[in-house]
Amino acid sequence: MECLHVEEHLTEYMDRSLPGEELARIAEHLHECSKCAGLLEDVRAVLVTCKAVPNLDLDLTLVERILLRTSGRPRTRTLREILSQHVLRPILTPRFAMGAVVGLLFLALAVNLMMPKVSPLASTLSPRELLRWADRGVQQLYSGGLKLYDKKNEWQAEFTFFKNNVFNKLGFMIERLDVPVEGKQDTGKPKQQQDKAPTDKSTVLLSPV
Amino acid sequence: MLTGDGKLVERCLQGDDAAWEAIVTTYARRIYNLCYRYTGRTDEAEDLTQESFIRIYQNLKTFRPEAGNLVNWILKVARNLIIDHYRQTRRFQHAAGSEEMETMNHSDEKLPDAHRLVEQSEASRFLRDGLQALSPELKEAVILRDLEGMAYQEIAQLLNVPEGTVKSRINRGRIELTKLLVKRRSQAGMQL
Repeated sequence: MECLHVEEHLTEYMDRSLPGEELARIAEHLHECSKCAGLLEDVRAVLVTCKAVPNLDLDLTLVERILLRTSGRPRTRTLREILSQHVLRPILTPRFAMGAVVGLLFLALAVNLMMPKVSPLASTLSPRELLRWADRGVQQLYSGGLKLYDKKNEWQAEFTFFKNNVFNKLGFMIERLDVPVEGKQDTGKPKQQQDKAPTDKSTVLLSPV
Repeated sequence: MLTGDGKLVERCLQGDDAAWEAIVTTYARRIYNLCYRYTGRTDEAEDLTQESFIRIYQNLKTFRPEAGNLVNWILKVARNLIIDHYRQTRRFQHAAGSEEMETMNHSDEKLPDAHRLVEQSEASRFLRDGLQALSPELKEAVILRDLEGMAYQEIAQLLNVPEGTVKSRINRGRIELTKLLVKRRSQAGMQL
């Protein structure tokens, strides 16, 4: 069998559309002829490449142009396209991009100032360092608590001193005024004397010195 | 009784723009890729796609559902336009001489970036260049069968030739393309 004959029927051989005898003869030739066998392999490789060729994406403006030149009606847009056209595109301008970048920079600076430093924490994440850090934290907490307790005692002492002082002054003033207190009315003295006493006192107070 | 294709075309003829838009959006990408495979250039493919749909729109009333489905009819219109385009640009004569064709520069300077990304595949680029070097009949047969994945019968209907001729052209096209690519690869020191 000639190589030319195999070449002529190569596609039919690949499609298995030849009669059985013919298929067997070509297979036998391919087994013996390295040139034809190589060609078959190369054709198969080209077909694999053909199947792998991607389809190009269509530019939607082409559809738009076709519709405008035929029916004269513009293309119907999806909700996403409408949103993109009327909302995103006006926003996504160079000016907006610049503003967004500056805003992000400010935000990053603010976060950097306000938040704890991550890098030192991350560098001391060994168990020993964590324990030390926790111990230091507990000690600081304890000393803070002690300070608060001292402060509280101090405030309490001051308040007690102030309270006593005020009460003493009030007591002294009450005593000086000698206002009759309900609990002290029944002193065992005669009523006349009791009624008289203030009169005397007022006379004393009003009399010229 | 009208089929789906027939109803769609009927709606178009009655002035339903939505139906026409459905046809365009459904088949535009396929026509565009077909034109690109024939021409190897995106700008020409875009022009040919646009012209194809204009011709389809003008000739919608000639579509007969009983004669075949809509996609085959659309492909036939596009293919005829591509052939006309080749005749006008006299590329057939150039393409027929393989030696002359091999010396031609097929680089597409106007490829957009997105398409360039697609074309980065070396195998695809070699294949495209190899296809351009084939004679029009063989190139067409290989494109329709191995790139478009059409059946022998569909290709025969589209090209209006017997099925045996289609098979023969496909076989010869594949072998010539393979030999050409092997030769170019060996010159470039690459594997197929």
